[in-house]
Parts: sequence; C-alpha cells; structure tokens
Amino acid sequence: MKILILGEYEKNGMKRATQSAIRFAQSIDPDAEIETIVIGWQMDSVIQDFKRWSNVLIADHESLAVPTADRYGRLLKTIVLERNADILLGATTTFCKDVLANAAGQLGGAMVGDIIGHDNRDGELLFQRPMYAGSVVATVRLIGTPKILTVRPSSYPPSAETGEIFTTTKMEIDAAVLPDLVRYEGLRSQSSSRPDVTEARVVVSGGRALKNSEDFETIVGGLADALCGATGSSRVLVDNGITPNELQVGQTGKIVAPDLYVALGISGAIQHLAGMKNSKTIIAINNDSEAPIFDVSDYGMVGDIYQIVPDLIKAFHAD
Amino acid sequence: MKILVTCKRVPDPDQKIRLQADSREIDSENLPYILNPFDAIAVEESLRIRETHGEPVEIVAIGIGVEECDKTLRTALAMGADRAVLIPWDSFLDPWNVSGILEKIIQRENPSLVLMGKQAVDGDSNQTGQMLAARLGWAQATFASRIEFQSGGKLKVERETDSGIETLGLNLPAIITADLRLNEPRYASLPSIMKARKKPIERIETSELGWAPDPKVEIINMSMPQTSRKKVRLTDISDLVARIKEALKTN
Amino acid sequence: MQNKSKNFDVIVIGGGVAGLSTALQLGRRGVKTLVVDRGALGSGSTGRAAGLLGQLRGSIAATSMLMDGVKIVQDLEAQCQCEIFVQTGSLRIAETTERAGEIRDLVAMGKSIQFPIETLDAKQVAELLPYMKTDDLLDACYCPTDGHLQPAELTSAYIKAGRQAGVEYKTNCRVDSILNEKGKITGVQTEQGISHSPIVVNAAGPWSYLTAGSGDVILPTASIGHYYLTTRPDPEQTVDRKSPAVRDRHHRIYSRPESGGLIVGMYEAEPVEYDMERLPDDFDMSLMKVARDDFNAALLIHAAQQRFPWINERTPMTLTTGIMTFTPDGKPFCGKMDNLEGLFHCTGFSGHGIVQSPVVGVIMADLILDGSTKYDIEAMEADRYYELPGFQTRSEIKSKCAAMYGSYYGRVERPEILSDSE
Repeated sequence: MKILILGEYEKNGMKRATQSAIRFAQSIDPDAEIETIVIGWQMDSVIQDFKRWSNVLIADHESLAVPTADRYGRLLKTIVLERNADILLGATTTFCKDVLANAAGQLGGAMVGDIIGHDNRDGELLFQRPMYAGSVVATVRLIGTPKILTVRPSSYPPSAETGEIFTTTKMEIDAAVLPDLVRYEGLRSQSSSRPDVTEARVVVSGGRALKNSEDFETIVGGLADALCGATGSSRVLVDNGITPNELQVGQTGKIVAPDLYVALGISGAIQHLAGMKNSKTIIAINNDSEAPIFDVSDYGMVGDIYQIVPDLIKAFHAD
Repeated sequence: MKILVTCKRVPDPDQKIRLQADSREIDSENLPYILNPFDAIAVEESLRIRETHGEPVEIVAIGIGVEECDKTLRTALAMGADRAVLIPWDSFLDPWNVSGILEKIIQRENPSLVLMGKQAVDGDSNQTGQMLAARLGWAQATFASRIEFQSGGKLKVERETDSGIETLGLNLPAIITADLRLNEPRYASLPSIMKARKKPIERIETSELGWAPDPKVEIINMSMPQTSRKKVRLTDISDLVARIKEALKTN
Repeated sequence: MQNKSKNFDVIVIGGGVAGLSTALQLGRRGVKTLVVDRGALGSGSTGRAAGLLGQLRGSIAATSMLMDGVKIVQDLEAQCQCEIFVQTGSLRIAETTERAGEIRDLVAMGKSIQFPIETLDAKQVAELLPYMKTDDLLDACYCPTDGHLQPAELTSAYIKAGRQAGVEYKTNCRVDSILNEKGKITGVQTEQGISHSPIVVNAAGPWSYLTAGSGDVILPTASIGHYYLTTRPDPEQTVDRKSPAVRDRHHRIYSRPESGGLIVGMYEAEPVEYDMERLPDDFDMSLMKVARDDFNAALLIHAAQQRFPWINERTPMTLTTGIMTFTPDGKPFCGKMDNLEGLFHCTGFSGHGIVQSPVVGVIMADLILDGSTKYDIEAMEADRYYELPGFQTRSEIKSKCAAMYGSYYGRVERPEILSDSE
C-alpha cells in the first residue's frame, strides 16, 4: 500500500499532529510505503527534521510559500495521481480539513474525516469516526480509491523516532499550472490564546468557589492552559463581575459539549447543567459532597479547588 | 448579485441522541430538528451582505433531503431569504454526493457566491464546501469569521485556523464556509414570518438535474460511546490526573 | 444497592420549588420526608423560571403571603449564606386610561395596607429606567421592596437546608403510580421500586394532572408553554443589576435585569399547550429550544421592542421556553381532595411558583400536620373545581387554563402588524 501524508510544521520541525498521522499510517499497514509531503518554500531546517520520521516528498517552491487550498489542493491531486497512491491522509487540523477535502473533491471524493479508530476486516479498512458532536461513533468504509483521510491526533500517539534517517525526494514544481484563485494576505495570532468555549475539546469552568478574577485566571485559566482548553464560567461569576459574559455556560449562556468538561467549584444548578450535560466526560471538584454536579459527573473529587487545582496544574506541566 | 445558501435539516444537537435497533441510523422519533446552526450563520451573513451591499442581492436557500426539509427552508425564508429550492432525497448522502447535487444546482442558478456552514452538526464531516469548490474550480475560504466586500467584486475573508486568523483575498465566484464567530443569527421578526408564508419553495428532482448517486462512504454501524455517568468519587490527585488523560485520549 | 423498599412519613413527588419547600418545612418539623423527581432537582418549570416577585396582589391575603415569603427567604439566605432575593423594586406602567385606572386602584389598595408604593410620572420613570421607552406613559407606580428571587439560588438553598433538616432526595426516578389501599395512601411505585408513606404530596407541576391519576377526580391543570428572552450585555444599553422590574400589561410583557442584560417575558394571547403524556419518557425541559422562526418568539420580540426599542430580532440574546402549570383561575391548588386519604396536591402555580413557594411550604406543612393553617387559603383550595360543570374533561380544562394564561395581563390585544397583514 502506498500512503501519502500531508505534513505540517512549525518553526523548524514537524508538528506532533503529523507524527500521529504517521503512526496511524504505520498501524493500518505495517508494510506500507509511507511518504510525508512537505509543502512550502525554503524549508531546509524543516526537511532535516521531517527526515527523522519517514520518507519525505518535498514540494519547495516560491509559488507554494503560503498555504492556500486551491494551490495545495491541486498539487496534492497531481502528486496522488503521479505516485498512484492508495491513501492520502493528514491530521484533523484546520489546515488538513481545508486542503485535503479540496483535494478529495478532485480525486473522486472517497473521504472520511476525524478518524479515532480503525479495523481491518477481511482486508478491508474500516474507520471509526465521531458524529453528532461525538455522541455517536460510526464505523464506515470508503468506496473507491484513492482514499482521503484525516486522523484525530489525540487518538494515535506520535510516531516513535527510530534513529533512522529517511530519504527525501524533491519534486519539480510547475507554477504555471497552479491555480491562482485566492490571495493570501497574512496571519495574525488570536488575541486570546484560548479556544472559544463552544468549540473547545476541553472546557474548564469555574463557579461560586472562585473569589475574584485573579483567582479565576490562576485556577481555572491555569488548568485550561495546561489542558489546552477553553475557560467557562457559571452564571454567578458573571453576575458578580468576576468573569465576562461570553464565558457563561448554561441556560442563558453557551451550550457546550466538549470531550472533557472540568467543573471547579460549581454546585451544578440545573441552569448550569443545561449548558454542559452532554459533555463526553465530566469531572467535578467541589467542597460540598452533596453538590448536584456530582450526579452528572463521571469522576468527582470532594475538596477545596484552591488546594487541589494547583497540584493538578503542576502534574500536567511536569509532563 | 445572487447568493446561494445551503440549509441542512439536522437534529437539535443539544438533545439526547438514540440509535435504532439495527444500530445503522439514529432514532429520529421525537427528535426535534432544526436548521443546521452553522447554516443559520451562513443565512445570517447573506442577509447582512444584502443589507449593506450597494446592488440588489437575491438570496436562494437550498435544501436537500426529506419532505420535512420544507420546514427548515421555511426558517431560512422567515429569517429573510428570498426563495428556496428543495431537492427531495430520502437516504444518506456523503459529502461527495451532496457537493455533486449542489454543483448541478449552481450550474442552474448561477450564483456568484455560495455560503454554507463549515459543517453540519449531524455528520460533522466538514468537507462539502471544499469538495464543491474543487468541483467548480472556484475560490474557497473555509472557517470564515469575517467577510468584507471590497470594490470590484473582491472579497476579503478572515478565517479561523489553528494557528490564528488568516486573511484571504478572493474574487467571485467563491465558496465560503461559515464558522461560529462570523455572526450571531437573528430570530425571524413577525413581519418576516408572515411574509415567508407566501414565499415559494421550488422542488427539483435529482433526475431533472441530471444527477445520479455515486456513494463513497458507507456507514456500517453506529454505537454510543457512553450512556450513563460513572459517578466515581476519587480521593487521590494522581487518579484525577489519570482520568483526565484518559478522557483526552479516548475521545 | 439501596434498599428498594423504604418507609417515610411523607413522600413528595416533584423536586421543583413547590415540592422542595414543602419538604424543607416538613423536615424542619421532624417529619421523615422523601422528595422524588423524574430528573434532576429543579429541572422542570423551576429551572426555566424568571422569578419575578411582585408582592402586591389582587387580595390582601395573597399580598401578605408573598410578604411573609420574603421573610422566609431572608432566613434561608442567612442559613445558606447566599443571595436569593434581589431587591430591585418594580414598576407597573400604563399607556392607556384603562391601565391608568388599574394602577390608581392598586396604589389605593397598597396604601390601605401600608404596602410601600408610590405613583411616578413618565419623567421619573425615565430616570429610573433610562433604557425604556417612556414618552407614551400616562401613569406608573413603583414598589421599592419588590424584586426577584433567583431560581437557581432558591433551589440550592431549599436542598441545602432540606438536607440539614434530614430530607432525603431521589433523582432520575420517575413515579409510575401512587399506591393506596381502600382509599388510603400507602406510598408510591417508582421505576426503582416501591417507597412507603401514608402521605403523598403531588408537586409534579406540569405532570401533576397525570400524577393525580385518572378516574372520577380530575385535577384541572394544564401545561402551557411560556417564553422569555435574555439579552446579552450591551455596553450601549447598560442594565443595572438593581434596576427595577417592569410590568407592562398593555404589551403583555414583564422585564427584569439578568447578568448585565435584560429578561423580557410575555403572556401571549394564544399560548402553546402541551400534553405531557405525549412527550417522551426522558423529556428534559432544560433542553427545550426555540427555533429561529418560532412564532411566539417573534411575538415576544415584537412586544419587547414596543417598550425597549433597542431590542429587535437581531439583538444578541437567548430565547428560553419552558412549561408552566396553569389553572382555570390562575390560583394554585394546595391541599387535598376527598377521593384519597393522605394525598395532597401542591401545584398549578400559574407562572408564580418561585415567589409563592416559600410560604406554600409552610402552608403545606400546616395542612399535612395540623389539618389547618393560619393563612387564608380559600382561593387555593384543591377541591374548588370538584364536580363543577365545565371543568370535567381535559379539553374543557385545557381551553379554560389557556384562556386564563392568555388574559393574564388583561384584555387581549393583537399586535397591529398581525391585523395589517391578515
């Protein structure tokens, strides 16, 4: 089997998400010929790093300096057809969702996104993917090749480094055949480094136990950052001016269903539960052992968040 | 200018989903259905473009699906879309096939802009807009959080990516998929609801479009990862750390 | 596993504010009490309520009950160290001579019982509520001691104080039937088994007509949808946390501050009626949603805009809908009927359950333990419709309750916009 992986990088090296995609490729077929495609311009140090993980296919050209879906999509289509690849895949990231689905639109559309597990049934690959915001896991198969896949990075650990240095192949790029439908005008980092509470996979929320904004930032914000999650808040903190309104989770605030919801010092009034009870896993810490939040939680700990959470944050930063 | 907006009928994502006995489909009995929230954002954006655009704008809402999609399209009309088209279809369609039908509709309607939700909250695929752009060879801007019209039919779109806000310049025709922060959709006003009752919903069969299904994704079965809360009390921080890691990994 | 069969003195069906308050007062008097709820505590109407407290009612009896309720709440606040009552004051406004007449009568009644109330002119109202349209007002009255009870806080306080008083709570446990032997209550059959008690309180809110059972005695309540909107804070329209609640009967709306925004609710003329027996077993009121093109929501937004012109269909806001339990006269049912010994009803609060609940708990405990109460509850007797013609079938009851809801703020007036286009 020939598998191509759309690689992603930052500064000088491969993103961990791509390493997970490589691990996934290795696990669906240990004998697969795997090549990681790196697209961009003047990427020498990036390529040095990519060589540590798999064979590398280099598309290095001034016309590819910025990541636009029209050009990258067209390029990937060409590569897949030229190399007669069975699978083109990447991590479930905004970049891969944008570019790979465009490529799939040019390659016959056999695509499945956000894979969290797989199976090999009589030689046929079956994929598990979440639907309905994760409340359902569907097992699907794809009809036709090439197959285009995106893989959820947290479901596959990053590929292990073997010490081997892999080969690289540089492609000839004919800029004249690449489309020019969009102009890339720049990238700016978001003012808040935290994701939006309604879209985050992890939400850490604080309630009445938080005494002021500084404590909220240290305790709730600190844990959210350690888990790369968003912060949320119960109504009472908004009411007391401790948190801004847009963080409010609940009946009159946002409704969220992340993979993990951590409720810190939230008693669990129904008005709050209405906003988060469909979360996949709920973990609560509260000093009142009878707090209703424990009735909707998978894991609960009775105690003072001011003592427990700093230890938790330390444990995650130690990793 | 004509804007085409896709309007998918989806189960209310905040309700509890159940599966049918054969585990191949969800149990739609008693499930309230709504206009896909991301499509509602697309509809809202089209209305705002119409309100601020110098020239007249016609907004056409497109639905594909069962007869009840009528109601979903009626929501878009009540919000302010000018007319609606329903392509009747009563079984599962993957993104490739949805984009195939949309391609045919676009050839018929000739819009200069297609606005769609970045994904539907039932299938959560996040592919249809991109596939449609590829099929048509149109400019594509996914995950839009801001759309600004500039002179000469040019558009500036801000996109929400994992690495930050990216700005793209596009020429029409283009496909833009809406992300959460693009806007907050309105509720329909009373006069608008009254007016919508008289607006037409045209039905076009796939055969009239010259389209035939070409399935690429088959759903073998579905399962529910979790049905009830575990309600386990922990006393040790290290257990708590382990449970958090587990939740991050297995989901 | 818990013991499947357990004995109590009283079992309360329904963990909304009515049931929770009743259980608290029983617990405080040493009664072994269990509250059973089909979902989480406070997950029904209680969890969707706005909680407006306007103490001045049509009768002295009802007014003094609400005033006593405030005292009970203040004790609860002290016991549980929380803020339940937000004293914002309240305004009633009149834009027609008919409404102005109502306000004059109300002021006279308030003054006659030394209730704090004063008349304000449009200019004074504008100073009090800069975000409200006031140029069309003919008259207004202001009650500085009114406000609202925060439903979430009140619910938690009832539970916390109830636990301290020994009340037990069983959640996510539907009651299938009330058990009796030869006309005497013996307990309840739940999906988790039987619990025994000689007394059962039906505080099941919208479900209470089902809980009461079928047969020759019909509990005349209907389950009626209600909507309110909550605007998100807007720097240009600051709504102070302590700014007064408003009742505008002409536009059929009420309002109060909430988290920097404004709650506006409406008693629309043609409400949505619910048949609770038709809803799924696991129906969860806290997940009810309002569609973008919901007609009643549009009516509400339209009405809100008449009084708060900055609110329109594009205002960032949340629409909330829930189900109220209405009775044909808008007064609750508190007490027993003659059919079963030991069965008490505590339901039908017709949109005022939050604010009536503190004193209703006391009344119920009085009735259950002493057979009488110091409060004048004639208007609330549970059997006042017993065998009364015109209130004997579900459809009669539903239409009378819906009519009561529809005329809650007086004469029905259709928005001009509807008469124009139809």
